[in-house]
Amino acid sequence: MTIETLLFKEISILPELFLGISIIYLVLYSTFLAGNSPYPLIQNSLLYLGVLVLLLVLYLLVNEKLDVLELSVFNNSIINDYVSFFSKTVITILSLFCILMIQQYLKDQKLNQFEYLLLILFAILGLFLLCSSNDLITAYLAIELQSLAFYVLAAFKKNSTFSIESGLKYFILGAFSSSLFLFGSSILYGISGTVNFEEFKDLFFWALPGNVVNLSDVTNNLYFESKENSQIALNYPYSLQKKLFFSNVFFDVNLLQLGLIFILISLFFKLAVAPFHVWAPNVYEGSPSSSTFLFSVVPKLAIFVLLMRIFYYSFYGMIEYWRYFIVVVIILTIIVGSFGGLEQRKLKSLLVYSSISHMGYSLIAFSTGTFEGIQMLFCYLVIYSFSGLSIWSIFILVRLKTNYNSKQNKDLTDLLLLGKSNSMLALFFTTVLLSIAGFPPMIGFLVKISVFLTAIESSMYFVALVSILCSVVATFYYIRIIKIFYFEKSLVGKLYYPLNNQKSILISVLFFSFLFLFINPTLLFLLSYKFSLLSVVGIF
Amino acid sequence: MFYTKNLLSYVLILPLIGAFSLVIIPASNRNLLRLVALNFSCLTFVLSIVLWIFFNKSIGTFQFVNKFFWIPILNLNFTIGVDGISLFFILLTTLLIPICLLASWDSIQINLKIFLISFLVMEFFLIGVFCILDVLIFYIFFESVLIPMYLMIGIYGSRERKIRAGYFFFLYTLLGSVLMLLSILYIYHQVGSTDYEVLLTFSFSALEQRLMWFSFFASFATKVPMVPVHLWLPEAHVEAPTSGSVILAGVLLKLGTYGFIRFSFPLFPEACFYFTPFVYAMSVVGIIYTSFTAIRQTDFKRIIAYTSVAHMNLVMVGLFSFNVIGLEGAILQSLSHGFVASALFLLIGVVYDRHHTRMVKYYGGLVHVMPIYITIFLFFTMANIGLPGTGSFIGEFLILTGSFKANTTITFFSATGMVIGGCYSLWLFNRIAYGNLKIQYFNEFLDLNKREFLTFLPLILGTFVMGLYPEIFLESIHFSVNMLIESMYF
Repeated sequence: MTIETLLFKEISILPELFLGISIIYLVLYSTFLAGNSPYPLIQNSLLYLGVLVLLLVLYLLVNEKLDVLELSVFNNSIINDYVSFFSKTVITILSLFCILMIQQYLKDQKLNQFEYLLLILFAILGLFLLCSSNDLITAYLAIELQSLAFYVLAAFKKNSTFSIESGLKYFILGAFSSSLFLFGSSILYGISGTVNFEEFKDLFFWALPGNVVNLSDVTNNLYFESKENSQIALNYPYSLQKKLFFSNVFFDVNLLQLGLIFILISLFFKLAVAPFHVWAPNVYEGSPSSSTFLFSVVPKLAIFVLLMRIFYYSFYGMIEYWRYFIVVVIILTIIVGSFGGLEQRKLKSLLVYSSISHMGYSLIAFSTGTFEGIQMLFCYLVIYSFSGLSIWSIFILVRLKTNYNSKQNKDLTDLLLLGKSNSMLALFFTTVLLSIAGFPPMIGFLVKISVFLTAIESSMYFVALVSILCSVVATFYYIRIIKIFYFEKSLVGKLYYPLNNQKSILISVLFFSFLFLFINPTLLFLLSYKFSLLSVVGIF
Repeated sequence: MFYTKNLLSYVLILPLIGAFSLVIIPASNRNLLRLVALNFSCLTFVLSIVLWIFFNKSIGTFQFVNKFFWIPILNLNFTIGVDGISLFFILLTTLLIPICLLASWDSIQINLKIFLISFLVMEFFLIGVFCILDVLIFYIFFESVLIPMYLMIGIYGSRERKIRAGYFFFLYTLLGSVLMLLSILYIYHQVGSTDYEVLLTFSFSALEQRLMWFSFFASFATKVPMVPVHLWLPEAHVEAPTSGSVILAGVLLKLGTYGFIRFSFPLFPEACFYFTPFVYAMSVVGIIYTSFTAIRQTDFKRIIAYTSVAHMNLVMVGLFSFNVIGLEGAILQSLSHGFVASALFLLIGVVYDRHHTRMVKYYGGLVHVMPIYITIFLFFTMANIGLPGTGSFIGEFLILTGSFKANTTITFFSATGMVIGGCYSLWLFNRIAYGNLKIQYFNEFLDLNKREFLTFLPLILGTFVMGLYPEIFLESIHFSVNMLIESMYF
């Protein structure tokens, strides 16, 4: 008992605790600051306090034990392992960049009420919990925390019809998809009597393709196993005995499959992959650019971590069932993402379609079902997030001198002659665009071919062929942006405000990390190797 | 500290150093920029001549081999080396780059710095393509060439149609090469390495060979270009600036034939034999169709562009004859086409700089006012037809001899192309050089100046030497080609 107390396993969620307490403190701070006026403008002090909180969270994350040890707390509902550690670190860094980049935009668009930053921090808290959730209920709550913050962020510009409309759309469709998640979870709970991923793994790891599985066989098997290993015997029989009231019930695997498909659909809604993408262009275009920046860059990694936990850790035995569904979705997504972007005239909606097609490529790596697949998925997501970060930062930072405040959305032609007026920024933009298009010699090329390699290794030739041909189509709309920077002969361009020093330093840090990663990508591959080692521990 | 082993690395890295040193020179100092770029490219050329001198002509294996680690955990390394086949392509590249810089000495007015940097970076990529001994990194370099070329067409192109031309160029080439990428990934998956010399020891099954050959073909045929996918070439040529056209015709088209020799032949020999009739048919259609098309063009550059297509298709006929004579002829014809077509594009550039039009109908009777120009033009027109004494004659003769052994009918049809070639070249020359001077359009004429004459001089000498004593080039090619042919048959 004393040892238990001394160990105090809950210490492993210290970053989340710290973040939560800081949010409460910041609420108090800003209401105190508000004084008489009902809506105090965001002070730079609040913003920098937010940055400080995130930096401290980053410190707490990195300071944690980085070993292979898994710590599960709160009745095994929250788990801390290398996967969650790493995704949290990436999310923190991304959101740090985000907050610093959108500072000026918030001031210009008069979005600088203090709630904005607090909502961002709430969303980050939700993403943290999502990364380390170990059962369906925690995952659901974390998704809701994250999404509710995002709904408000989408509708934050109160005097704009578009913003309100997109917030409402986002809310309705998000709530719908969350309900699908709950429905799927309830089916799984009805079959198994548990919502914990680890217990799912114990129950269904032997549920190989077939029609009917007798769960009592499975549990006997488990008992048989647990006798051999005393440590497992201590942990498992209690928990399982309590829940396995159904021990002699036969159940239909198709029902289980139905539950899994519901969960998949709900998470695909969140990732905005076709055919569940229809809300995305509308919502992303309508909401303020700073919010869109957050939606499209930060949460993808966390949702993929949840997907990995459910489908690789718990239900890997059922891969033959869920894989084909994902393959169909991949092909649709990549076709929609590549062809949909062709006719876009606004930079924002173009980036939305680009992100849709990139989710398709990530799903290729996800659906391979191999160790390398997970490794490359992580590489791809990290590189994709950082290049998305760069593109959106430039999108936010380039501020037109004329009619900027009245114009919420940028046309592609607003970037006319950027190559002449701000050549370094144009060069950086070109590099990132080519990298996103997967064009050599950029880091995006390397991770893209790694994804295709994993697809070929698991014999998904058709998917690889379709997606690589679609990527050529997608290249067209990336090089069209480059054309607008450099080739147009128009003499009248737009004027932009120059960047300040802080932003220039951030941008150049991103730029040189891109260059460095291509010359020496070993670092990325090593980190992702460790990442995948932990996430697929269920397979072995 | 000067090891000949590292010579190739120096040749490869020197243009990149030049590009980086251009970055720190302010854009306003135009003269210094041009001088630095020219000096670096000339130094690269001198070093590549040294490379030729130190090249051992009596062995057919790779020389100056160097290996650098890139991603050791994935077994991807950066291996470079040259053999007789790639040596002359490197020499051609390093020769043409300073000529291009000289040719566009005054004509580039805006964005000079970006122009020079992209030129040197392109030289780095092109030399890289010819000396990389790793399929995946070959692909990276092969694709990277597109970026500077796309910028060059887009920024320095002359008309509004340049954007369309840039898209054509970029997307046609990309569409072909992504299929090659899939095959390369499959190879990596099967063999576990993309190192060229490891791949040579591996043999694929017949079905794999056919599929992969076809996807490599899609990429290389777009570069050559074979007929249905040749549409990007006239567009890109017409819109590109003079120096861009020179590099495009002189080196970029050779990437296709080089790719066939280097990768398709030794890796998929069975598929090569299987697909020979298909390639023959496409090449012959290409030769005859593009020759006829060239006759009815009104744009100076388009005529030469279609001529290039015809000549490169003749090279394809030589390649697929699969004997030493045909293959050597194909390589020699590639080189001589690199000289002749580049010179013709430079000649177009000369009159374009003066009169800013490329329409043939505005020119006439230039022999009265620009005698030196017309003399050089006559020489290269004759070289284009394949007059004995020029390199093209040797190349075409060897190609036709080689293909005569393999397929007489195809030789007959290919030879028709040469006859039509005489037709369009001489007619073009007639229209430009003879007749009355068209004073109603232009009334100021200026013959070649010293700089322009000096840009033509190495090309004239090269064409002559290649025509009079081709053994200088062939003796280095013999052993490599023999090894290649042997590895294909056995």
